[in-house]
Amino acid sequence: MIGEFEYLILSAATRLREDAYGAAIRREIEDATRHGCSIGALYTTLDRLEAKGFIKTRMGDPTPERGGRPKRMVRVTAMGIRAASDFYAAVTRVSRGVSWETNRIAVR
Amino acid sequence: MGDEPNRSPLMARVCWRLVDILSLMLHSDEREAVRGDLVESGAPGSQALRDVLGLVARRQAAPWTHWRPWLTFVTLVVPLGMLLSVVSTTTADGSAVYVWMYANNWKWGDLGNAGFWHVFVETVLLIFKGYLALACWSWTSGFVLGTISPRMTQTNGVLFFLMLLFGGLVGAPRYFAYFWQFRRGANGPVFSLLFYRETFPVIVLALLVVGPSLWGIRQGKRTERLRPLLRYILGIAAIATLPAMVIQNPELSVFLKLFRRREIWDAWQIWLLQLVVYWPVAYLVADAIGRHRHRRVASI
Repeated sequence: MIGEFEYLILSAATRLREDAYGAAIRREIEDATRHGCSIGALYTTLDRLEAKGFIKTRMGDPTPERGGRPKRMVRVTAMGIRAASDFYAAVTRVSRGVSWETNRIAVR
Repeated sequence: MGDEPNRSPLMARVCWRLVDILSLMLHSDEREAVRGDLVESGAPGSQALRDVLGLVARRQAAPWTHWRPWLTFVTLVVPLGMLLSVVSTTTADGSAVYVWMYANNWKWGDLGNAGFWHVFVETVLLIFKGYLALACWSWTSGFVLGTISPRMTQTNGVLFFLMLLFGGLVGAPRYFAYFWQFRRGANGPVFSLLFYRETFPVIVLALLVVGPSLWGIRQGKRTERLRPLLRYILGIAAIATLPAMVIQNPELSVFLKLFRRREIWDAWQIWLLQLVVYWPVAYLVADAIGRHRHRRVASI
């Protein structure tokens, strides 16, 4: 079973498709969670996911807006999609009958 | 580079300079990708510094969750750093007496004396032999660290140099009597001078230990590309150097509480072992010749 942060990265990378790379994934996660995402956490988790076979990475071409530096492009593998899907299913099952939306309104 | 609205341009420049230095500790591909991400996101210098610092810390800490780095630290970094620290101090103290003898008591009239030259050459050779041995031990220690864990060289290097600095403190209780006797006895006038007491050992440590060991670490990292047999031979030579270091330094035998029987330690095998100490010289010469030939072949 993958972890929560691993799931966030897999989801962001899947949504970004061909445009999935370090900075873009980081932006997606920060927008979605409304929390900061450190480069340290992102890159070490990318390594872990790659070691598990959930993603494949390669160095892209240098671009001017990045000061002529290349991107680390990310592609989610079939195994990664399965792992993310399993995690989502588990979260959905465990959340069944729990009304978070109601609680959030109550907290507000 | 990102904007720095609330900080002075100087502070931003310092932060980005630190980012440049710190990111050198990352793998080249990762360094480029991370620097590109930081530029693209327009992160201010301070934020970029925090990000890179966090990544470097994670990268450096990750291997310590396994047992290998701990084994290297306990069996190599600590003993080598401590031994070299002790040997460096004793070599510096030993040669300081001779340096003081000639530099602080120089008489031009002695130059015409044949006996002066005889003793002078003998002394210079003695000091040179000691310095060369110390530089070779240091190089070998660095080489061993670089060979055993090429990915951990930066961390091991820092820990090794910390051990060099504090090695003397660890051995201080046992060495107290030795230093008291050596520095306060007949050699008192030499070590009453601040230069020979404090500065000279630091110069010896920097030039004959820190410099060669850094060079050794760098050379050791390159052995990944060598053939297994050659790596094996180099490993044996490096390991043989360590007992030779103990043999050639009587102070270390006392320090390590080793048994010293004259007939054993004066045997020809031991004498031969002492020559092994200088193997880095042969290795570096062979390496330089090999690279020169490679360049010549490539240019044809």
